[in-house]
Formats: sequence, C-alpha cells, structure tokens
Amino acid sequence: MKPDKMEESIITSERYIKKIDSVSSDILRNVRINRGFILWMGFLSVALAATLFAYTIQLKEGLIVTGLRDVTSWGIYIANFVFFVATSLVGMLISSVLGLSGAKWIKPIARIAEIIAVAFAAVAGLVIISDMGRPDRLPNVFLFGRVQSPILWDVTVVTTYFFVSLLLWFLPMIPDLAISRSRISDRPKFLIKAYEILSFNWIDHKKQYEILNQAVRVLLILIIPLAFAIHTVTSWLFAVTPRGGWDSSIFGPYFISGAFVSGTSAVIIAMYFFRVNYKLQKYLTEDHFEKIARVLVLVSIIYIYFNINEFLVPGYKLKSIDAVHLKELFSGHYAPLFWSVQLLGLVIPVILLLFRRMRKPFPLLIISGFVLMASWLKRFIIVVPPQAHPFLPVQNVPAEWLVYKPTLIESAVTTASLILVIMIITILSKLFPVLPIQEIAEEETRAEAEQLNSN
Amino acid sequence: MKNILLVIITLQLFIFDLKSQEWIVPDDKKSKLSTFPFDDITRKAGEKLFSVNCMSCHGTPGKGNFLNLVPPPGDPATEKIQRNSDGEIFYKITTGRGQMPSFKSVLSSPEIWNIISYLRSFNKTYQQQVMAVITSSAYPGADIGLFLLFNSSDSTVILRASATKGNSTVPVTGAEVKLLIHRTFGLLTVDEAKTTDKNGMATFRLPDNLPGDTSGNIMVSARFVNEELFGSSTKDTSLCAGIKTIPVNLVADRAMWNNVRKAPVWLILTYSLGLLTALGFIFYVLMKLRDIFIVGETLSSEKPSKEK
Repeated sequence: MKPDKMEESIITSERYIKKIDSVSSDILRNVRINRGFILWMGFLSVALAATLFAYTIQLKEGLIVTGLRDVTSWGIYIANFVFFVATSLVGMLISSVLGLSGAKWIKPIARIAEIIAVAFAAVAGLVIISDMGRPDRLPNVFLFGRVQSPILWDVTVVTTYFFVSLLLWFLPMIPDLAISRSRISDRPKFLIKAYEILSFNWIDHKKQYEILNQAVRVLLILIIPLAFAIHTVTSWLFAVTPRGGWDSSIFGPYFISGAFVSGTSAVIIAMYFFRVNYKLQKYLTEDHFEKIARVLVLVSIIYIYFNINEFLVPGYKLKSIDAVHLKELFSGHYAPLFWSVQLLGLVIPVILLLFRRMRKPFPLLIISGFVLMASWLKRFIIVVPPQAHPFLPVQNVPAEWLVYKPTLIESAVTTASLILVIMIITILSKLFPVLPIQEIAEEETRAEAEQLNSN
Repeated sequence: MKNILLVIITLQLFIFDLKSQEWIVPDDKKSKLSTFPFDDITRKAGEKLFSVNCMSCHGTPGKGNFLNLVPPPGDPATEKIQRNSDGEIFYKITTGRGQMPSFKSVLSSPEIWNIISYLRSFNKTYQQQVMAVITSSAYPGADIGLFLLFNSSDSTVILRASATKGNSTVPVTGAEVKLLIHRTFGLLTVDEAKTTDKNGMATFRLPDNLPGDTSGNIMVSARFVNEELFGSSTKDTSLCAGIKTIPVNLVADRAMWNNVRKAPVWLILTYSLGLLTALGFIFYVLMKLRDIFIVGETLSSEKPSKEK
C-alpha cells in the first residue's frame, strides 16, 4: 500500500522508473507457466484426484467410513477446519495490525500473508462440507438456519472474511498488474489478457492512488473485526456447550492467540520457500526473517499465557467433568500428544528463538515447521478428547466406538484439503507477482533519496 | 456385542469387591410371597409398569442393554437376578439401594407383584408359590371400600372406610390408612398415617401450598397401610385442593433455544447490522474499484498514457 501523503516527486523520478524495471524483472521472472509449474500442478492434481476418490467413497457410503461415531462425532475434519481458519488469520495480523501500526518491513511479506489467508479461508468452508454426511443438505443451513446458532454465524463470517481477504490481496496488486502487463509479453495470451482486465485501467495516476489508498485502508480496518469475529465464532462452536474441556470463557482469545502462532509459522515457511525457489534473497532478507521471528516469539508467548489460563484454572478447581478430561491430557491417553505439542510446538521454539542464530532463515524454517505441525495437532487436542467424556452415560455402543481413530479415508480427505490449499497458493504466487513491485520500488527509491539528501 | 458386554461386566466384577456388592435381604422378607397367582393379565400389567419405571436403567429383559452404570443395574432376565426369591426381589424393588431408587411410595404392593410376575416370565424353570390363604382378613368375604371428602374451609380430607357384605355395611375401624398425592415420579405421603375411628373415619390435613394443575386439582390416593389385613383397596380422587399452576411454556417467548422466528430481537439486530456493515464496506470498496476504472478511462482518453 502507498503511504497517505503521496510524494509525487518520487514516483515520477527517473530513479524510480529504473527501480521499477529492476524490481519487476526480479519478481516477474517467476511469473510464468514453465515446465516446473506444470509438473508441480500435475503432481498436485493427481494427488488431489486420488484423495478425492476417497471422498467419493465417503459420499457413497456415508460417514461410517470415517472414525466418527456416536461419542466422538467431530474428528480430524473439524480439527482441520479450526486449523485452517486459524492459519488464515495471519493476513489480518501482518497487513493490518503490523501494517497500520507503521511497520515498514512487512511490505514485502504482506502479500504472502494475504495469499495464505485467501488459500486457507477458501478451503476452510470446503472442509466443513467434508464433515457432512449429507452435503446435499448444505442449502438447509441457509434455508432453515437459526440466527441463534454459532454455525450460521460461522458460515457468514468465514465467507465474508474470504472475500475481504481476496480483495486485500488483489487491490494493492493493481499497480503491479499495470506495471507487469507490458512486461510479460512472452507469457501465455490468457495471462496477459487477465492482467489487462484486472489492472482496471490503471495508469499510475495520482488520483487513482488516492482512491486505491482509501479503499485499501477501509479493507485493512474492516478485516480486523472480521478476523476476530471469524475465529471467536469458531471458538464459540465449542465454548457455547457445557462440555468439559470446551466450557471455557477464554476460548475466544485462546483461539485467536493460537491462530497467530500457526499463521505466523505458515508465513515463515512460505517466505523461506519463495526466497529460495524464486531467488528473492534480495527482497526477503535475513532481516525480514529476524523480524518475523520476533513476531513469532511474541505471539507464542501470548499463546503460552492463554494456555496456562486454560489449563491451570480448571486444573486447580478440578470440577468432576474437567478432572476426567484433564487427567486424560496430563497423564492419560492423550498425554504424549499433549506434552509434545505444548513443548515441541510452543515452549522450546520460544526458548530457541531467543538466540539470534536461531532466527536465521533456515533454523527458523525448521522451528516453524514444528510450530505449524503442533498447531494442527493442538486443534486435534482441542476438538477430540473432550468428546470422550459426555455428561450422559455412554450406553449400548460397541467398545471400539469409544475411542476415536481417524480412518485412512478420513486422512485422505483431509490431505485433499491441504493439497487444495497448496494449489491455490501455487496459482496465486506463480501467475501473479508474489511481492509488491511498486511498493518495493517506491520504498527503495525513497530510502536512496533520503540517503543522498543526508549526504 | 453380548460378548463385549460380558467382558465389561466381568472386568467390573473384578474391580469392585464382590463382597461389598452383596445385597442382604432380611430373612423374614425373603420368604414373602404374592397374594395372587401370576397369569397373563398380571404379566401384561407388569410389563407396562416395567417399561415406565424400570426400563430406563435395566433395559429390555433378555437384551442385556442396561445402562453402563457402576455398579451395573443388570439384566433382570439373567440368572444373577432370577435366582433371587420373589420376596428378595420384592424387598429390593421396595427399598432400593445406591442409584436404584426406592419404589415404596411409587408402586403399590400389587403393582410390584405384577412386575415380578412379568420378570418371572423370562425364567423357564420358575414355579410360583402363592401365599396359601390370605392369612387373616379383618372382614372376611366383605367388600372393603374407601371414600374421600375434601373440606376446603380448613384444608382437610376426611376418609371413610367401610366394609359391605350383602346388604349390610359396617365401618372399618382401627385400620391404619395413609393419604398419598400423585407426583411426576411416585407418590408423596401427606400428613401421617391415621387410624380409623369407630365410624371408620380418619382426618388428614393437607398443606396449603400444594401445586395443582391449571385449575388447582391434585390427584390423591388413599390406601390401607396393612394391605394383607384389609386388602389392597385404593381410592383415587381428584380434589381441588392445590394452587393453580400454569406451566411455563419455554418456547412461548423469544429465546436462544427457540426457532428462528422467535429469536431474541437483539440477536437478530446484531447479526443483521454486523453483516450489513461488512457488506456495506465491501460494496464501498467495489465502488472505489469502479472509480479507479473510470478515472483511468477518462484520463487516458484526455492525454496520452503516463504508463511506463
């Protein structure tokens, strides 16, 4: 995004025009449909087809092919949904919270964060459908939905958040599309045509910048309450029930702080990938990794704080229903998972990231990998174990129904959703400039001009 | 499924000390017998009573689908329960233990015998022993009846017991009688048991805060305490002796748990306004996008493109 006070002198200067040339050639180098892209998309498509075949089995046979039964009726589908919604929240954190507070270093990262947000939010809705035994009844949610139900609120906010994220990815890219459309003449025709249409008659005029800045600013502010709503409502899907383990008044902030952890780690992984594969070391510098590592430490510490509240307070009181649940987590069936997630995915990463050496791109990538994996498993811990201890006595069910174990089909369908996310990220980052060309050029020109002036 | 349940039951037997599970029935109660022979009518009546009072925990006899409680309620068709004598089952139903409630004030003696009659139909080897003769009836051969009269001025219920044989009617004197009120589950004993006077009358005082139905009616029931001696004659009467109670209709007003047409107003407003605000801003942004397009079009037609 452009700063409020547009300095016309900068964007008309010769230096700036040269800068645009060099930056765009670096970034547009990756915008192409090459063999690698086709092979990668082909591989993803085959994998998607295989996993979707598993879904057709589920569609035909019903949810009986999953591990979901009477007692545990929400499994990895819902855990995956919560993870997706959580991860998509990072778009708001980077672009709005950090961006609006004036952090300049987020500029090259903001679009990556929005790509993550769009991809995860788009697929989150599909994940919910995979949890439905009769997806043909989806319209009933809208036809007969109750305004009292958090499920209706969730459908509403997830959809709205997706569209606003999409706009927030697209709008700041309009100047880049205009810059690029004349520079990608050797690319496929449809891409050039798409750039032409999507650049909305952009002629780099001051007036257009003013309108665009207004629009983007509105979106940046709008996305904050929306993002809070989307994940708070997701937490309320659980917290509005009296079930032990879900019956918590801090579930909203607990989920949101957790969302920032998983989202930030996802952005770091994406950053590393683009830096290395797209050879963007010049723009995604070690300094960027250093800074975002600090963000990861901050959000992780906040999340640890909420974890302490979430487990220590009920653990101190030990109401009978909580006691059964917490015992399962702390020392029972789920203890190995619970402690590995808390330690390997949260506490140890924070300790490691206190060291400067660990905030270098590669170590940070490894740590983020752990954090992201733990984030997924954490959602599993939040969703599944509380269901094993309902208030009503469990009766007349076979013993093997009492412990939830995801089936192969279920895992395949979940993998399908991850593949879809990766496909969307690939398309958005391969067919469009992954870094903001215009903003980087402007920022660099300004920095150089300031340096000249001070000399 | 049956095997799994058997395994679960056996495991629980190991876990819980067998000795502490023992349910001791006093000797004099063990030999108690039904005063009437079991037949199809008693079995039918028993089945009905069982489904209302017992099935929720014990399941359907012979199916093994009782609740998974600790200790397990058990299937009444199994040998474990069938090896009890009639008197033992009668005692256990009457007194209850742990999670099993006492049915003393819920079911009358004949009703409990009807249930036992039903349970015994699952036992092929069972042979009923009926109490030889009704030991000693106070009024042999007579029809004993109970009558109730409600005096609203001082909230008392006057009971009169009489025995009719042929054309002659005599008051039943010196008999202990009790007054019960029907509740959702079981019967509530009101006042204390009274002994009929020389006119066969007894007076019970009703509390003045009894909740009745919508017109203030309550269902009362009178019985002899010693049913062996005076017979199991009961008198059920509806009396206008309670407070009018209008049940609260939980779905009459707007509420969170109601259907969408009766959703709380504040919620409808919050949801709609929130959604409209978001959509409004999105619309605003799309209009801005249109502006960018128009500005680009007009400016580029006015002068040559500035685009680099």
